[in-house]
Amino acid sequence: MIGSLSAAGVLASAVAQLGGGYLPQLLNYLANGVVFSAIIVLGGIGLSLVYSIANFANFAHGDTMTVGAYAGLVTLGAVGTAGPQLFSLPLGFYAALLAGIAVAAIVAVATHYLIYEPLDVDSIGLLITSIGVAFVYRALVQLRFGTGTYEYDIATLRPIPWIEDLTGITLTEHEVAIVLVSTTLVVALHVVLQYTTLGRTMRATADNESLAKVSGIRTDRVITSMWVIGAGLAGAAGVFLGLYNQLSPRMGFNLLLVVFAAVILGGIGSVYGAMLGGFVIGMVNRLTPVLTDVGIPIEPAYANAIAFVIMVLVLLVRPTGIAGEEVT
Amino acid sequence: MADETRSAFEESEDTRQAQIERATNAVLVAAALALVGGTLVGLVSPSYLVFLVSLAAMYGLLSLGLNVQWGYAGLINFSVAAFFGLGAYVPVLLSASGSPITDAVPPIVGLFAAVVVTVLLALAIGIPTLSLREDYLAIASLGLAEVVRLVFRNQENWTGGTSGVGGIPLFFEGVPVLGTLPRDIGTVDLGIYTLGFQFWNGLLNALIVGSFVLVSYLVLRRVHRSPWGRVLRTIRSDEDLAEALGKNAYAFRMQAFVLGSVVTMLAGVYYAYSNYFLTPGIFDPIYTFYAWIAVILGGSGSNRGALFGGVVIVAIIEGTRAFGLSASWRLFAVGLLIILVMRFRPQGVLPPRDELIWPGARGGGTDE
Repeated sequence: MIGSLSAAGVLASAVAQLGGGYLPQLLNYLANGVVFSAIIVLGGIGLSLVYSIANFANFAHGDTMTVGAYAGLVTLGAVGTAGPQLFSLPLGFYAALLAGIAVAAIVAVATHYLIYEPLDVDSIGLLITSIGVAFVYRALVQLRFGTGTYEYDIATLRPIPWIEDLTGITLTEHEVAIVLVSTTLVVALHVVLQYTTLGRTMRATADNESLAKVSGIRTDRVITSMWVIGAGLAGAAGVFLGLYNQLSPRMGFNLLLVVFAAVILGGIGSVYGAMLGGFVIGMVNRLTPVLTDVGIPIEPAYANAIAFVIMVLVLLVRPTGIAGEEVT
Repeated sequence: MADETRSAFEESEDTRQAQIERATNAVLVAAALALVGGTLVGLVSPSYLVFLVSLAAMYGLLSLGLNVQWGYAGLINFSVAAFFGLGAYVPVLLSASGSPITDAVPPIVGLFAAVVVTVLLALAIGIPTLSLREDYLAIASLGLAEVVRLVFRNQENWTGGTSGVGGIPLFFEGVPVLGTLPRDIGTVDLGIYTLGFQFWNGLLNALIVGSFVLVSYLVLRRVHRSPWGRVLRTIRSDEDLAEALGKNAYAFRMQAFVLGSVVTMLAGVYYAYSNYFLTPGIFDPIYTFYAWIAVILGGSGSNRGALFGGVVIVAIIEGTRAFGLSASWRLFAVGLLIILVMRFRPQGVLPPRDELIWPGARGGGTDE
């Protein structure tokens, strides 16, 4: 709340100080923020789900995104970029997206059964173990693909002309696709959580696992589904991050803390909070250049630092986050 | 937490623990003999041997510092790298010829400046985070360490930014005798080796970091057994109990956090003066996780375990290098080690012995 208010204040003063000519620039930052937010939201939901159901802060979540992104890279290489296109993205890219989701989900479920499940430690032990898991994921990606960067074999687009003419916003069809597909996934998750038996059992398990169990809910299945959904969304986030930027073995880990900031802002363990927090943090992150434009000497290089400071402030003032669910 | 403490306590009574300790000692002695033997037959250069020992001491300091925070007080501190980097940067920015600030301050004085800055940063990170629940503390401290890293990367006018700081003097620069000692000894010819400036300087640095470790170890062992250490252990296992006994848990945690940060900082001082050049790479969170592995592997709460963990980290880092394996394999080994320790020995290899009893109180052979 405080963050968004002060952000709005900065934006208003930016337009006031720099005049109407600054508006297209500002709209550009906002549009870019929406695209980046979409990726953070996808990552944040998974992190929040794991937290609410498996009860630990999963430090391997960022590297799960990386795994998804590289699975997409391999698939795109195998399927190719020929054939019809949707949003100027070849069908091969959508195959890559599905592969990213599937591989991330499979890897996470396998990790759950091989590593987390047999452990006899508390949630802090799980947290520490997840750091080891993160290192193993990243090391395997590096061993297979090296430490350099990759890009998806898809031509970089020029901004959509009519939007640019009309508003001055430079937005490519790829970015529109990222936002639309992410929104679809988020809406689908909402439907699953609210209107299906799986969703009800998931919410029940998150609420009180023992009670869910005595009510006849097979919580182990719920936990598996949770890993599939959480890691699948992380895989999608990874593929989109690869399309938005480029692929590198550290791409996910570097984003992890920003995703944590989003999740904490929204209220850790709350899926809807993660959506809201992801949106705010993504926006703030991409709006950082405004600070320099209005004369506050904080460079864009500090975009992540601002997110972390917001995170710590939220923890201090309102540890339950925006969504305000009681965390136990 | 309570379970962990109890299991560590029970294990120490166990004969299995005695076996593990004997095996660990045997491995350590064998490794030391192999290295010394390798040096005698000309396989391992004396400079490298000294470097290895110093590096083990450096990681030992990182893990000793973290052990005060996590092992004694149960604080999940993921900002180790920030204090490691600070220990390196503060004296260097005051003493190096390439520093954008000044090169007029002797490194030894810089060391004390680093202590002051470390205490201030520890308070700055600790005040907002130490009252947080444990997993929040992990995330928040990692985030704040990242802020510190970003500041050192981007404030080029103060830190030289990503291009780093060059022209780092010797640690004893300006001190009579010690300042020029490595040069004055000159070259000693031992047949297979010629020991020159590099060796003597390395040896002096090893003595510096060795004395840091020795002092830290003795101080920490003493405070661990003191009433202060007892209160910390109480807070770790049952905070409500400690509060009910009138202990201010927040204040005790803060003291442990600051004390551990100062020990961590010492590792950075060694790192800076054993190199000619310093870059913000020292703030990489990997150093935080190295310290964590060392502490967990050694056994949370155990100082000798922390030192043992430091030795293992060096064995992994330098071992993979010696076999020509890439950094990716090192990362893999480190990750796998974390998973295996948490799976098979969450209390660590050398958990604290008789944590709750003053050693003298046991007498001879009165084990029940």
